Amino acid sequence: MANCAFGVICTKKLGSLQNLLARKYPGVECFEFGDSVRLEGTLGDWETIVRCGKFAAKAGFRAVINDVSLKDFTPPPMRTPPVKDNALQGLTPDVLIIGGGVIGCSIARELSRWQLSVLLVDKEDDVAMHASSRNDGMIHPGIASHPGTLRGEYNVRGNAMYDQICKDLSVPFERWGSLILYHERWFGISARFFLGYRSKALGVPGRHLNRRRLEALEPNITKEANGAFEYPTSGILSPYKLTVALAENAVENDVQISLNTVVTGMDVEHGAITAVHTNRGTVRPRVIANAAGCFCDTVAGMAGDRFFSIHPRKGECCILDKNAGPLSQRSMGLIGLAAAFSTSKGGGIMRTIDGNVLVGPDAYEQPLREDFSTNRENLDAVMNKHLQLINGFNRSQVIAYFAGVRAPTYEEDFIIEGSRRVQNLIHAAGIQSPGLASAPAIADEITKLTLSRIGGKILPNPRFNPVRNASPAMAKLSLKEKQELIAKNPEYGVVVCRCEGISKGEIRAAVRSPLPATSLDAVKRRVRPGMGRCQGGFCTPLVAELLQEEGVESITKKGAGSELFVGSLGDKATEVYPDD
Amino acid sequence: MTDKQNNFTQTASTEDIVNLSTFTSVENYDILVLGGGPAGLAAAVSAHENGASVLLIERERRLGGILKQCVHDGFGLLRYKERLTGPEYAQREIDCFLAAEIPYVLESFVVDVRKEGSGYVVCAQSAAGMKAYSCKAIILACGCRERTSRQVFIHGQRSAGIFSAGTAQYFVNIQGKMPTKRCVILGSGDIGLIMARRLTLEGASVVGVYEIKNAPAGLSRNISQCLDDFGIPLHLSTTVTEVLGTQRVEAVAIEKVDTNMNPIPGTREIIECDALILSVGLLPEIELANALDIPIDPATKGPFVDQSLMTQAAGVFACGNVLHVNDLADWVSWSGEIAGENAAKYCRNPRGFFTNKDGCVGGEPVLLQYSKADFLYVVPQYVSSHGPFPLTLFFRSREDVKDKTITLASGGVTLPSEEALQDGKGGGYISKKYRRIIPSEMEALKVKSLGRLGDAVEFRLKME
Repeated sequence: MANCAFGVICTKKLGSLQNLLARKYPGVECFEFGDSVRLEGTLGDWETIVRCGKFAAKAGFRAVINDVSLKDFTPPPMRTPPVKDNALQGLTPDVLIIGGGVIGCSIARELSRWQLSVLLVDKEDDVAMHASSRNDGMIHPGIASHPGTLRGEYNVRGNAMYDQICKDLSVPFERWGSLILYHERWFGISARFFLGYRSKALGVPGRHLNRRRLEALEPNITKEANGAFEYPTSGILSPYKLTVALAENAVENDVQISLNTVVTGMDVEHGAITAVHTNRGTVRPRVIANAAGCFCDTVAGMAGDRFFSIHPRKGECCILDKNAGPLSQRSMGLIGLAAAFSTSKGGGIMRTIDGNVLVGPDAYEQPLREDFSTNRENLDAVMNKHLQLINGFNRSQVIAYFAGVRAPTYEEDFIIEGSRRVQNLIHAAGIQSPGLASAPAIADEITKLTLSRIGGKILPNPRFNPVRNASPAMAKLSLKEKQELIAKNPEYGVVVCRCEGISKGEIRAAVRSPLPATSLDAVKRRVRPGMGRCQGGFCTPLVAELLQEEGVESITKKGAGSELFVGSLGDKATEVYPDD
Repeated sequence: MTDKQNNFTQTASTEDIVNLSTFTSVENYDILVLGGGPAGLAAAVSAHENGASVLLIERERRLGGILKQCVHDGFGLLRYKERLTGPEYAQREIDCFLAAEIPYVLESFVVDVRKEGSGYVVCAQSAAGMKAYSCKAIILACGCRERTSRQVFIHGQRSAGIFSAGTAQYFVNIQGKMPTKRCVILGSGDIGLIMARRLTLEGASVVGVYEIKNAPAGLSRNISQCLDDFGIPLHLSTTVTEVLGTQRVEAVAIEKVDTNMNPIPGTREIIECDALILSVGLLPEIELANALDIPIDPATKGPFVDQSLMTQAAGVFACGNVLHVNDLADWVSWSGEIAGENAAKYCRNPRGFFTNKDGCVGGEPVLLQYSKADFLYVVPQYVSSHGPFPLTLFFRSREDVKDKTITLASGGVTLPSEEALQDGKGGGYISKKYRRIIPSEMEALKVKSLGRLGDAVEFRLKME
């Protein structure tokens, strides 16, 4: 985006935008806000507000701050943890990372290569609680992004870094490849030029497959697809396992992670943040990295560096039973004309790294940043759209579904830069798809920016070990290795989760890991009990029992407020519900 | 590519299990009974009494299966002519099993099972390590599991407080933990009804039981004893469509449904509660049957069996709830006995078992025909005129029907009963009159013999 250094040009831009807005979106006014443009007013539906923001994004300003409010709607406040203490009071880390998603955790691990004190805070009970555990786990090849965008650039760079990262962190990762399917032959012919150009411009290897060759690779593909473009660098992993592994390795390398910690405000003096207030005390970091996902604009605002807005884009996915897993091999989605010009990739089907099939996600604009509820219409549409791609897929195979919220800006690109207003603030903002694939490259860049903002000579951390001390996963072991492990620790022989075959030993190791799992969902994200077809029906009580054994006082599903048990047997219900 | 396609399986890899030399020792038995609930216990005892060497493998810490957590009474009315609680019933079966001194292993989880020569090899994981067992026959007695909230497409938040009834039952009865103070129960399956009463007794308020169908799914006696006696309302043709509350359940939305079970607009109602307990059906645990590629009946969701309770895989028998979801534990034990006895016979003479020479099964068992409009399912699915007898046909009707006669016919002719054949006068048929048949209650039609019929080519169960 052109830097708006000349007031004259800006005024002219602003005037014409104002005229256009008055015609297309009556009631919306625009103002200059630094080098961004700020929209104000009230509109009757959210989609129009988002369209209006996107329209303004084309006017040539640095970014759009969309403050148009939705009629009769008050956005709910950000959900905050109930904890209040002074655990962090007075800390002066070199770097404070706000946000424990895959971006924040990648940055933390990358920074731990250096002799720096790093503190990462997240408001939830675990890392990877928002978008990082609510996506399809695809390491995109990069073909879906426009050349010249940060999304395209970081995606391609990040993708290439995953083999080493996953090896070091013992995170299962496969490059099974992906397919962009098409139905109409004419579309295939025209897409060949378009995608061929992108392949070249972005450096993404790919090839065209006709129906016959496609069938040879994916024998169960239905007649919906008449051909495809194959991208072999496309990979798949568990995004939450990765995020947890990054966090664990960061902790092993002396990064401090403070969960249930929300940033409530900042003190800014002379263009620098001097204090960051949290529910657990005030911290005085030298540099702050903003990796706050859907709340990255809020964090920027706290530092007085408001220049963009996030418009939460929700998506819903469903998971099929493992018995559907072998029916397809590659990630694939049908592309049509509409999808080709859309900002999101339209979802598809992909075999997950654990052998299930993930279907979706869809993409729709809505005003809530942390509403992870699903609804029937959306999920039905996702199933109707994608299940027809593979012979043998059907609704009865669905074992789970979930929703996630992406954090795009109105410019629909990443913001990876040092703040232009605040000396010690660095943004990893607007990270939407392909954020997972881009994470290593983003962390790399943010680390460089951080080092230069801290300045001086910073030495490498002599204790840094890129290899995570991962606990064993029974499923990955040979029979002999299993025998030896069980002989050493018999708990690895005791199966707790019958659907996924997870042993007590594996669960206990997750609870005792460098970033201990203290809730049912945290255990589930690390070692999978409850992710199988019974969805925790059998294992939930057993995992709860084990957590209790390990000294977890209150058994929760996902942190404070989600307690599993209420009172004790024989209590009178009337004490809680006096109206009854 | 084949390698890649298989590399996600949790079980031991192909190479590991086929190569038995990887194991330091392989224990040999005639029969492996997989599951130590009422079906497995009865099967093991019966196989043992019929001369087979048996090992029972149980994945939990204790024998008894799901009965351990069923502290209510009503078990054993048929088998023991007494009203027992689940644990009492289980204990009788366990005592009988222990008295027979049949070997068993606990907390052993079968990770792989496959055909090896004319028999089978089973690999189980336990604190003692990975163990391999070989056998001539397998009896599947792995019970069933509950359908989940996701399988019935409950939407909204994924908050704490959404439990299947069986899980809630485990919390309360085994762990002594209270999972709710005020709950809504979706589904009128028996465990849901039992839990409505149980939770009420423990001080929770059960707002109501909601059933999407227009008839209750559980036993009539449970509707009366668990709901009516406690003033808990049952709402038919109503379902839960959304869960509210981000951390813990705060409320659920309920809606009336039309005859196609689609929500009727404008009927939505919000009910405050801290938990949603689901009793929306049970499904046979067919993982091991699947591992052996055994054909599954879409009607029962369990394996197809003949009247010896042998599945389509020679030497693999199924009994109890893995075969079809029974309404009474008594029937589960009973089917275990049948499977055990026949598995033992099979082990003595695997070939003869099919050839009609030793008075066991013979002829070709043929698929029993029935109208899907009348019946939900019939078990066994395959019937042979050569036995073994008595044959008991278990069935569930599709609708709530009154004054019906169920008859067994062959080639369009209603089959005469044993008595009629003996007194030579004719007139008696294999049929039974029912005043009322409801889908939630299993019915049994006993057939003493199909003698002198020869090799019938077609059997049909009729409802008239």
